Formats: sequence, C-alpha cells, structure tokens
Amino acid sequence: MPQPRPETATGIHGWGVYVPRFRIKMEYIAREWGWSDSQWKALAMIEKAVAGPDEDSTTMGLEAAAYALKRAGVDPGDVGAVFFGTESKPYAVKPSATIIAEALGVTPVTMASDLEFACRAASEGLRASLGLVASGMIKYAIVIGSDTAQANPGDVLEFTASSGAAAYVVGPSSGSAAVFEGSYTYVTDTPDFWRREGSPYPRHGEGFTGEPAYFAHIIGAVRGLMDNLGFKPSDFKYAVFHQPNGRFPLKVGEMLGFKPEQLKAGIVTPLIGNTYNGSALIGLARILDNAAPGDRVLVAPFGSGAGSDAYSIIVTDAIEEKRGKAPKVDELVSKKIMIDYSTYAKFRNMIKIVRE
Amino acid sequence: MTGLSVPAVWRGRIHRYRLVAGKCNSCGRIHYPPSHSCPHCGSRGLAEVELPRMGRLVSYSIVYSVPSESRSKAPVILGLVDLGVARVISEITDAGPEDISVGMQVEAVFRRITEDGETGVLVYGVKFRPVKEA
Amino acid sequence: MAYITGVSMINVDRHYDKGVKKLAAEASSKALEDAEPEALDYIVVSSSFTYASDTQLDLASYIASYSGFRGVRALTVEAGEASGLAAVGVAKSLIDSGLASRVLVVGVDKLSDRPTWEVYRYFSKFYDVEGEGIYSIGMGGIAGILMRLYMETFKVDRLTLAYWPALMHSNAKLNPYAMLRFAITPEKVLEAPPLADPITLLDSFPLGDGAAALVIEGSGKGNALAELVAVESATGYPSIALVEDPLRIESLERAYQRLTRKVDIKNVDVIELHDSFTIMGILELEALRLAERGKAAEAVSRGYFSLGGEGPVVNPSGGLKARGHPIGATGVYQVAEVSLQLAGEFPGLKVPESNHGLTVSVNGSGSNAYIAYLRSVR
Repeated sequence: MPQPRPETATGIHGWGVYVPRFRIKMEYIAREWGWSDSQWKALAMIEKAVAGPDEDSTTMGLEAAAYALKRAGVDPGDVGAVFFGTESKPYAVKPSATIIAEALGVTPVTMASDLEFACRAASEGLRASLGLVASGMIKYAIVIGSDTAQANPGDVLEFTASSGAAAYVVGPSSGSAAVFEGSYTYVTDTPDFWRREGSPYPRHGEGFTGEPAYFAHIIGAVRGLMDNLGFKPSDFKYAVFHQPNGRFPLKVGEMLGFKPEQLKAGIVTPLIGNTYNGSALIGLARILDNAAPGDRVLVAPFGSGAGSDAYSIIVTDAIEEKRGKAPKVDELVSKKIMIDYSTYAKFRNMIKIVRE
Repeated sequence: MTGLSVPAVWRGRIHRYRLVAGKCNSCGRIHYPPSHSCPHCGSRGLAEVELPRMGRLVSYSIVYSVPSESRSKAPVILGLVDLGVARVISEITDAGPEDISVGMQVEAVFRRITEDGETGVLVYGVKFRPVKEA
Repeated sequence: MAYITGVSMINVDRHYDKGVKKLAAEASSKALEDAEPEALDYIVVSSSFTYASDTQLDLASYIASYSGFRGVRALTVEAGEASGLAAVGVAKSLIDSGLASRVLVVGVDKLSDRPTWEVYRYFSKFYDVEGEGIYSIGMGGIAGILMRLYMETFKVDRLTLAYWPALMHSNAKLNPYAMLRFAITPEKVLEAPPLADPITLLDSFPLGDGAAALVIEGSGKGNALAELVAVESATGYPSIALVEDPLRIESLERAYQRLTRKVDIKNVDVIELHDSFTIMGILELEALRLAERGKAAEAVSRGYFSLGGEGPVVNPSGGLKARGHPIGATGVYQVAEVSLQLAGEFPGLKVPESNHGLTVSVNGSGSNAYIAYLRSVR
C-alpha cells in the first residue's frame, strides 16, 4: 500500500491578486526602441501592468495577501508562516515578509522570510508550506509572489516584464477551497536568466531561456507529478503554467498533451505582462475565480536558474462562498489607467536622477 | 537624505500600516493617529480601533510645491477623507488632478509614503485611491 | 503694564550676504540704539526655521554675544509660525511679573539659506509630523484643502478670494520693509502657477529672510510708541481632520475670547494678521467675528477692510502675502508695524488716527494661535 501523500492534508483557504492600475501598450515600447511589429507580436502580448511610483513588490504583495486572508476568513494570529517570493526586493537586505506580516497583524509569532529563485521563489514557499501545514507545525501559511519586474530598457524582455502579485493562504484540507493532491519539484543548474548583485537589470540567454530551461523544467516537473499520481492530461479540467509571454504556456501545454481549452482560462500575461513570481499564481487565481467544485487543476510555476514545481489540486464546494469576498482577477485586470512611455519610465525608475 | 529617524518610523508602523486609531472610552470619539489622550475631551482612557478602509473625499489640494523626494509623484493630491467614524488626511494615489472630485469614493491602499534617500529606510503606510468602476 | 519703546525691522528679502546672527544683530542694534548690556534684562529670541536651516541650537545666547550683549539673560522661543508673538508674550510676562523691566525681543529666520524644495520639506513640520506630516504636504497642502472646502461650503468663487492678495499687494507698495512692493489684480492671482491648487503662487507668501526687534519696557516714560495691553493664546487641534468644522480656527477663537475677557477692546482700527495663505487670512477674519462666516472674502472684495473702508484696516503692511513671512520673525514684525501705526509713524500705508490695534499669529492650520492687543499712548 502506498503511503498517503502529505499534500492531501492541505488545501487553499484563500487566494488574492493585486494588479497595479497603470498599463502601457506594447506599441509604445516598440516605437520607443525601434522594434518591428513582427518582432514583438510573436510574444502574443497586448499591454503590461506598471507599478506606480509609490508601489513596490512589498506593497503589492500586501494587497494580494490581504485579499487572500479575506477569502480565507482566517484569524491572522493562526498564521504561522509568511513566505514572500520576489526577485525585486525593495531592500536587498531586510525582509519584506516582516513588513507584510506586521501589516496583516500576523506578527510576532510566525515564520517570515523572503525567498529568491527567480520567478519560482513563491512556489518554493508554497511547497514548503504544504510540508509545514501537513506536519502540523503550523496551522496556516501565507505564500506571496510579487514582483516589479525589471528589464533593461530596449531589451526584448521589456515587452513582458511587469508588476503584480498573487497570494495564497494554505491550511488544513478541511474547509479549504481546493485540496492538494500532490506536488513535484524539478531543478537543475541552468543559467538561462540572472541578475548579478548590484546590477539593476537581469540578463538572459534569449532562446536558451526556452528549450533547456522553461520547457525542460516544466515538462520534467509536470511529467514527474503525473507519473506519481497516475494522471494524464485529460484528467485535468485546467492547466496553468508560468507565462513569460502569451505564447510559451500554450506551447508547453501542447508539448505535454493539453488542449488549448484546458489552458486558456489560466493565461493572463497578454493583458498584464509577466509578473514573474505572480505569473502562474495569478493564472491559478483566475481559474479559482471561475472553477466549479470537483474541477482538477494542474499548476506549474517556473523559475530561471532553473526549476519548476507541479501541483495537482481539486476544487471543493467551499469555493463558492469564498469567491465573492475579494476582487476577481478579471476585475483587477480591467481597472486600468493607460500611460505613455515617459510616465512608465519615470514610475519604474528608468530615468537617472541624482538625489540631492 | 531626508533625515528620517528610524526608531520614529518604526514606532509609527502599526497605525500607518493598519489604520489603527484611538477611541475614547469617555466621549466615544475616534481620532487618527492614536494619541496619548483624547484630542477632543482630554480623557486618557483610550482603546485602539481599526478604521474603515472605504471613505469619501471631503476636500483636496493638488500640491505642486513638493520636496524633491516627492517629485516623481508630483503633483501630490492631498485629501481630507471621511471614513464615517473619523476623518483622516492622506495622500490620494493612482490618480491625476483630472480624476479627482469632492465627494468621490476612495479606498485605502498600502503604499510607500516616503524614503530616506537612496540608501535609507522605506516608510510604508496607508494612502487612499479612487474606487474605480471595472 | 508693558510698553513698546523701540522697534526695528530689516527689509524682508533674500539676504544671501547675511547670516541669522547678523540679521538679528542688525535689528537689535537698531531697536536699542546705544543701550549698554547692563540696561537690558533679557533677550527673547524668536526663531523657528533656524532649527532646520542654520541648525544653531541655543540661538539666543549666540545672538546675545554676537550683538554685544554677553551677560544678558537670554532664551529662545519656538512656536512654529506663531513663534514671534509667542516671544512677545513671554517678554510681556517677564515685565508683568517684575522679573524684568527692559526686554529685547528679536525675531529672525532665513529661508533663502536653503533651496526651495528643502524649504517645502520643512514647511510640513508645522503640522503633526506623526500624523499628516508624514505625507507630502509641501507648501500649502493643508491650506489648499481648507480653501477648496471653504469655496464648496460657502459657494464662494475663486475670483472673490483673489481680492485678498490684490489688497495685500496694494497695501505693501509703500512699505519699505515689504518684500513684494508691486500691485496685482485679482485676475492675476488666478493666472499665477498653482502651488497647492486651488492655492496659486500669489495666494502665498514669498520666501524671504528677515529680522525684527522690539524693546518692551515696564514703564513708558513718555517715549513709548504704544502700550502692549495683552497677549493671549490657545492651542488647538493637531489636525483639521479632527475638527468637526475645519473652517473654524478654534484656537484663535479661544485666544480671542480669552483676550476679550481680560481687556475691554475698543473699536479696533488696525490689524496685522497671519495670512500665510489667502484662506488663512479669511478664516482669521471670521474667527475674530469681523465678518460673518463665509462672508469675509466678499467683504474684502468690496473694500470693507481696505484703508477708508468701514471695517478695521487689515494688514496695511501687506501682510505675510506681500511683506513676507520670515517664519519666526513674522509675529515680531506685526507688533512693530502696529506699534508704529498707533504712534503715527509707520513708514508705509498709514492708518490715520488709529488708537487700537491687534496682531494675530497662527501656526499651521491652528495648532497654536496668539493674539495681541495694543493701544495708542498719544
């Protein structure tokens, strides 16, 4: 008899997303840096979200976490861990997780830390939370993925690097909106994308971020999970992957044997950009906004460097009463203020200012 | 450098982060930020309460005369916000002058309020922004 | 009994070539002429901005020695924008209590020693630094909120409120100590760049340096310019968000009430009040019951407070608006100006046969308010 998987003792009690209101159209970026239409249209992108001058990964993460707690209806005092996954930390040294924990009223008896693994740091926090909750060490964990993604101005990355956050309250399976069935992690040392200490913008290996990194790791994690659980793509109602652009998640889904209708509900990047640590987790939130009890969902975040986690979850009846307690992803995506390139450049500190 | 005191920033974090106000046990009125005694009746018997996060803009000013550290968000919209049980002064964010009107609904958001130069401490807290229709 | 026996003022301007101590010493020497250190019991220095701009602590003692009065008793008084009149109040208390018979009050501040954006940062310190002061109030943010609220509440249009700065500029034309000595039209106020909308640049004071000094004595000996009958004050709410009616300067109302309980104030001929912004001048007129609530701006626009109008002449110096507002010095300028008016010696716009005068000083939106009543000794 196989051992019961610890994941099955855990579930999602609340989910929350934050998308800043400002948006810039792809055309503005293309025009500014002289990209031809065909060059950027291959990314299947329309607009990207831009954090305002008083926003950062901490403020967005807090908003998402507050929404997640609202849906969870959990007493902040029962939260035993706050994991903050980001690659755009406002402080290089000093946790953002403590700021968020303090603002939520979770402090002082809690774990709190910032995690870094490019775009999958939050997912590592999620997997660690499953273990902490399943073992009974803590009752609830809050996992946050939030980024104000940087891109070297003029780099192709600038079309997609955006700002946004997602948060999840993980707790015991009973009473949760979705129960975990299993999880699987796949990592190797693959330098497809990095930012050195002190460097303002990341560098990447262009095509090298694709096959050996994004595709190899997601496929490794998802196949590993499906093998472990004995599932095939058709067992899932939805599948959501890390989405660095509008095209990759469709392609990796297809490579794994998923059909477009399983994938589309979880793809948000074309409208808001790649929110890095928020990317797959915002996609999952959009699915939870709409899923029905009994739906099985596959979610697989990816982070450069490189690694991917795959999770299988089953939506429960409790989802219905939680949905309306915080804004849905579509609502957040539709509330927007269009800005031009110069405003975007100012908001994202791309204009060199000598501070007096 | 703006000369912020780190201990002072730290001391104010709870009321700034969570909109914690003082409620007078004697006259029942609520004031923000919480004080040592009720600013209305002087009583020292106070309880802490969290303020509602939705309010109405009573009046505002569009401030162009800002210190240099606020230039990237200029003009700054400074508002008097009625939260029902109390009023607060706050910056109104995610909005330009053309988006603002007296009486409009505003909601609390968590933002960076200021920072001590490029290397100093960051000050977080509540601001308000217009409630926007989807 | 306390009498103003000597006054002096430095013209408000950007005195790049003079420091705080130099400005204070020049004003002091002029007010005292050739007095010996022994003839002075106390120096009360009023300064607020110095803590931020010059950073000299114990300013009064350094001004004393710099000015040639080493040995005199000295202290500095700080009450934000109301510092000047607070210092005058302290000086009067020293006289009334018999601790001193001759006190020099010198108010000084320099705004031009710092760039404008830094001055704006310091201005937010007039407000609660643990409350609204954490936000970018800048110059006039809180007053801007009050002005819009006033316009909405009383249905007063922006142009009507522009008559105030126009009157101030007109008054200041003849004042040799005023920083802005040119006329403007109300229309021009509306066209000026916004500072803290609806406040424009012309609703606010120019950033200048100044120093003014007063000699206050227990006996007039026939050489007094005016009698300083009473100084009163009151503290108010730390924020307009806490006041049920933010358009009432409760602290000033209370200070005025205290003053009228103490002394019988005859028909006031001349007032120097604290118009840091147009709206503050208007709200102060209403707090003093010189106009009905919501009506002061309209009264100003029809000349009620102008020379020759029905009411008292308000700010014949040009007020903070046009004379200038060297923060800690301003209250001292006001007392000097009203003393000279009551003596018939004001070198600017004269209010003929004025016998009763008031000066009003307010910090921020009313955290502290001071009011002084002066009487002619002619």
